[in-house]
Amino acid sequence: MKFSLFDLLFNPNRFFQDTLGDTEHLKMPVLIVLAGAILSAGYGYLAGSLTAKLMDSAMGGLGAVMTIFVIFATFAGVFIFWLVWAGLFYLISKLFKGEGSFNRCLEVVGYGYLPQVFGAVITLIAALEYLPKVVVPQLTSSALQDPTVITEATKALMQDPAMMAYTQTAAVISVVFLLWSANTWIFGLKQARKLSMRDAAICVGAPVLVFIIYVIATMAGA
Amino acid sequence: MKTLYLFVISVAVLLAGIGSASAYTTPDSLAAAGNVYISGVTYDPGAFFTGDKGTVSISVTNGNRNQSVVVDHATFGDDDIRLMGDPYDVASNIGPLQTRDYTFSVAADVPDGHYYPRLSLSYRDAGSLYYPAAVWVDNTPLVLAVIDSPDSYTDGKKNTISLQIANPRKAAVKNAVLDIYGANADILPASTYIGSLPAGTNTLVNFSVTPNAETTLNVTLRYDNGDNHHSVSRQIPIQFSPDKKDATPIVSNLEVKNTGGVFKVTGDITNAGLSTANAVTVTSLSPAEPADPYRSYVIGALKPDDFGSFTVTFNAQNQTEVPLRVSFKDNDGNIIASTQNVTLPRFAAQDKSGSGSSLLPQAVGILALIVFAGGWVVYIRKHKE
Repeated sequence: MKFSLFDLLFNPNRFFQDTLGDTEHLKMPVLIVLAGAILSAGYGYLAGSLTAKLMDSAMGGLGAVMTIFVIFATFAGVFIFWLVWAGLFYLISKLFKGEGSFNRCLEVVGYGYLPQVFGAVITLIAALEYLPKVVVPQLTSSALQDPTVITEATKALMQDPAMMAYTQTAAVISVVFLLWSANTWIFGLKQARKLSMRDAAICVGAPVLVFIIYVIATMAGA
Repeated sequence: MKTLYLFVISVAVLLAGIGSASAYTTPDSLAAAGNVYISGVTYDPGAFFTGDKGTVSISVTNGNRNQSVVVDHATFGDDDIRLMGDPYDVASNIGPLQTRDYTFSVAADVPDGHYYPRLSLSYRDAGSLYYPAAVWVDNTPLVLAVIDSPDSYTDGKKNTISLQIANPRKAAVKNAVLDIYGANADILPASTYIGSLPAGTNTLVNFSVTPNAETTLNVTLRYDNGDNHHSVSRQIPIQFSPDKKDATPIVSNLEVKNTGGVFKVTGDITNAGLSTANAVTVTSLSPAEPADPYRSYVIGALKPDDFGSFTVTFNAQNQTEVPLRVSFKDNDGNIIASTQNVTLPRFAAQDKSGSGSSLLPQAVGILALIVFAGGWVVYIRKHKE
């Protein structure tokens, strides 16, 4: 098995022709996704710290729990998304009479995650730049009894100028690097599921398009 | 001794003869007395208050062309109008066509009414002259009436009050002085000299009052009736109430934003009153601390039904409510201020203006999507061929 990082990023067609063997090898894809998960957990930690600050002013110790929860959620979220994308591509490609196993789908989606790892690095840098500037509202312990107060506080936190700048930057980064990943996935899925280029593009493009429209719509509503 | 008695008796008889000869009434003297008449009676004051003291001057004219009359005794008064001091007890001569004034000090200790005290003249050789000189005793005081005053009073606002001072009495009064006093109020002028006020006349006195608290004005009119001091007083209550015609700035459309820890309040002020509000200014009060860039905001003049927008910025840590002060100047330059509390939301919405919020991120996302989709369409077509 030949592994070329350059080909994976800039010539995925050749990469998958050279790399995919008869059997699935998930070690490298897992490592790529793991790298992405660790980086995501990094900016998850920074974002979680803000929530922790918000909660700590009302109840000491609650913030730490929140931080741990956010780190775990962002870390696990990357793996969950890996499975979801692979599942979607597998199911949609079935409509185009695609062949090949689900593990093969996991393998190509895992490889295709590499551009998003770079995206996660940039997002982490943006988080380090913006999140310390966020002004965190102060909650009292009695405020925890009132869901409206918590909603208002969360809304105020999300509408902080620094937080909004970070959110928008992260969204743009995620869109751009997801498209890069999608490009890789199309070639991978073509190989993995023995599809035509057009069918593979539809199988990957349709869910990615929906996801990106959702992200853009969320940005517009923020 | 007998000779001495005869001498004394002779002298007495002689003196008695001289006396009887000098008081002797003749037809000529009676005719001359008949031509003496009262040519004028003047009371000062012209009308008395009960208890007043004054004078009466009576002019006696000798109408004879070539004969004098001698008045031995002159007096005035009766049980109602008392004579004060002595009557004329020394003989006086009134020459032909001459007039002589007899002045008496009198006191009126009687209730309201017309009285007729008598002048009594005793001629040396022609009996007496009696003359009733009518006089009024009138306890009607001067009238002190408020004829114009503001509909309402406001703290610190200058207002003008007009008073009418009228003399309904039958005679003039003099040295009238109007004094006004009120605690916690600036009054201008506090004292006004009016002078004489003839019977049946009136005059207007305007004064300004600037109350600093609710109070009562004590207005006193002092005047002299002859040489007798009198006064009349009244009170004018000064109570604050909304001016029906004043400018009424109403704050509305309030919006509170938090810009990096500094609260930014925007809103509109509408003049719902009937007068122009000049130099309308908005600022925040303690516990808020005004902060740049809008420590205060001057809207300027607002005519009735006009409105203007404002923006103020302030720091207010851990506050849930902050008072806003809205002030304006009325047409007299008085500053009228009111406060309105602004509730600060526990977590004020952040001000998005100038914080980089734009459509740029969405545009970048859409552009990337179009480039990606377009690129793939071209790529697939190319490979199909």
